[in-house]
Amino acid sequence: MKRNLRPLVAIAALAGGLSLSVPAFAQQFDADAAENVFKDNDCHKCHHATKAKKGPALKKIAAKYKEKKLDEKEAIKHMTAGQKVKLDDGKEEDHKIIDTKDVKVQTNVARWMLSH
Amino acid sequence: MDQRTSSFSDPKMKILAASVAAVAAAGLVACAGGPTRGADTTGIDWNKVPANKLVLFYPGKSSYEWLRDPAAHKGAASETARGDSCVSCHDDAKEEQRQGAKILSGKHPLEPIALPGKPGHVDVNIQAAYDDKNVYLRYQWKGSNDIEYPYYRFDGKEWKTYGAPRLDKPVQEGKQPAIYEARMSFMLDDGKVPMFKEQGCWLTCHEGERDLNPATKEDVAANAAMKAYKKSDVRKYLPASRSNPSDWRTGKLPDELAKIKAAGGFVDLVQWRAHRSNPVGGADDGYVLEWRNFDAGKNHFASNMNAATKQPNFMFDAARFGARAVSADQVRTKDNFLIKGANAVPFDPNAGWKAGDMLPRYVLQPADATGSAADNKAYGIWKDGMWTVVLVRPLNLANPDDKALKPGGVYSVGFALHDDNITTRGHYVSYTKTLGIGAKADIVAVKLP
Ligand code: HEC
Ligand code: HEC
Repeated sequence: MKRNLRPLVAIAALAGGLSLSVPAFAQQFDADAAENVFKDNDCHKCHHATKAKKGPALKKIAAKYKEKKLDEKEAIKHMTAGQKVKLDDGKEEDHKIIDTKDVKVQTNVARWMLSH
Repeated sequence: MDQRTSSFSDPKMKILAASVAAVAAAGLVACAGGPTRGADTTGIDWNKVPANKLVLFYPGKSSYEWLRDPAAHKGAASETARGDSCVSCHDDAKEEQRQGAKILSGKHPLEPIALPGKPGHVDVNIQAAYDDKNVYLRYQWKGSNDIEYPYYRFDGKEWKTYGAPRLDKPVQEGKQPAIYEARMSFMLDDGKVPMFKEQGCWLTCHEGERDLNPATKEDVAANAAMKAYKKSDVRKYLPASRSNPSDWRTGKLPDELAKIKAAGGFVDLVQWRAHRSNPVGGADDGYVLEWRNFDAGKNHFASNMNAATKQPNFMFDAARFGARAVSADQVRTKDNFLIKGANAVPFDPNAGWKAGDMLPRYVLQPADATGSAADNKAYGIWKDGMWTVVLVRPLNLANPDDKALKPGGVYSVGFALHDDNITTRGHYVSYTKTLGIGAKADIVAVKLP
């Protein structure tokens, strides 16, 4: 099993310009476990690492979150609330709900997604 | 005639010679089970032909209609309906492995029958080559040696079927043994069937077909289009053959179908069969439009049941086969192929039949196989758990029920494998691949020296 310890501090600091108000903690996640849950839930069928599919690419989501200073809590909302998503053709549809209620597992998936 | 099997001077001649020899030898081979049957006589050095890996997975009941049902194919129904390619979403490096395992998990609605231990996918190695006469495909996969097909068994009064494909109810209930032939097949299009490139074989897979919530005999008999097709059940069909593609009942009439067919709006379907074509060096040639049809001419096999007398048409020649019939304990112990011109003789109703005597449900007819239906040759051998099948299809076929393969051409192909005594939805299938005859594609047929 691969464990990623990825300090987001540096990036956050850059994104925030001179602001160093971001708490200096390291975002830990287990990439293999996250990827498995992600694929067992069919998330990969709509979200590719780099390529736009029906859903935005993980790289794009991660970049947006950095830019808007959103965190994993926001990502978890998207995978648990079954919110309406807007599609290219203007239609709306309920977003997929992840099959686990375990916040630890959800957090792990969210951190892995946002590490792209 | 050139006997140097290692050279590749004139493969067509060798194939012809080999198939004649195979037919002549079939009687002996069928008895002895010798290594000649199925031997690759093309003379191709396959070590010099690049190999491609295909992953075929278990699709269960993922029909055209299921794929377009928003409550079933969640988040993908409208994209599928508008013609998006399956792999625009199903593109993970291990997608087929994941999907097959999921469908066969015992908890997935796409396979309601428990098939414990059945793997969700099979790896198939495929190589392709061509010369100025033929295209050659060589498949290899690890699978079971399913050379048997169900029989007719005499019960003292009547000849009744014995054995059935694994998904059939009598097998599920333990009343019949699972018996069915292995098959390796492909469907091919030259760009004329809308959406085939994107969605492949799934275009032909519909509710109402056998083992897919089958239409009742009565419903089929009462349907005008099915009556016009002279068919008593629903088989693979293409969307263009129906006014509502999601409803088998809405078949277009033969005049209209003829126009679609003339414009190339059908897919070719080539099936190698371990029981009904391999022993006589063939692979059948068919096409799908309003039904899963065989090409014009005569196939390699024919029914061994006389509808009028309700008795078999042929039995074994005891002098050549060792007995008139087979018994249940001899199934899978030898080559029980019934072959006209080799070991079959006309059925004698007064031959003293005993309960338990069995005869094959199909008789092979190598000398009768003619016309477009007999275009393909094939050789398959099972050894050490692995099948190796070589298929030979002529280039530039001009029959109205064939898709002509031409040097430089690129075709969309979907593959299917039937393994472990199963048929219908129980096969393994591939997403669409491209086959290039000396042209850039997923699978490139290389020009032979
Ligand atoms: C059927 C396609 C589909 C599936 C399956 C799917 N998603 Fe999505 N997802 C989308 C679409 C489309 C959006 C874009 C929503 C928007 O921009 O309004 C989205 C957005 C998201 C977002 C929010 C991105 C943002 O910009 O805030 C997250 C997080 C997410 N998905 C996670 C997941 C997870 C985790 C799974 C698996 C449990 C999953 N998705 C499965 C289609 C899908
Ligand atoms: C827009 C993306 C998309 C397209 C296009 C698409 N699928 Fe799917 N497919 C999905 C998603 C998402 C699921 C999981 C649905 C669920 O159960 O929640 C799925 C599920 C399946 C399943 C069930 C097993 C599994 O993986 O969950 C099969 C089989 C399948 N698709 C086959 C196909 C075929 C065949 C095509 C082309 C004819 C196709 N799909 C086209 C996204 C897609």
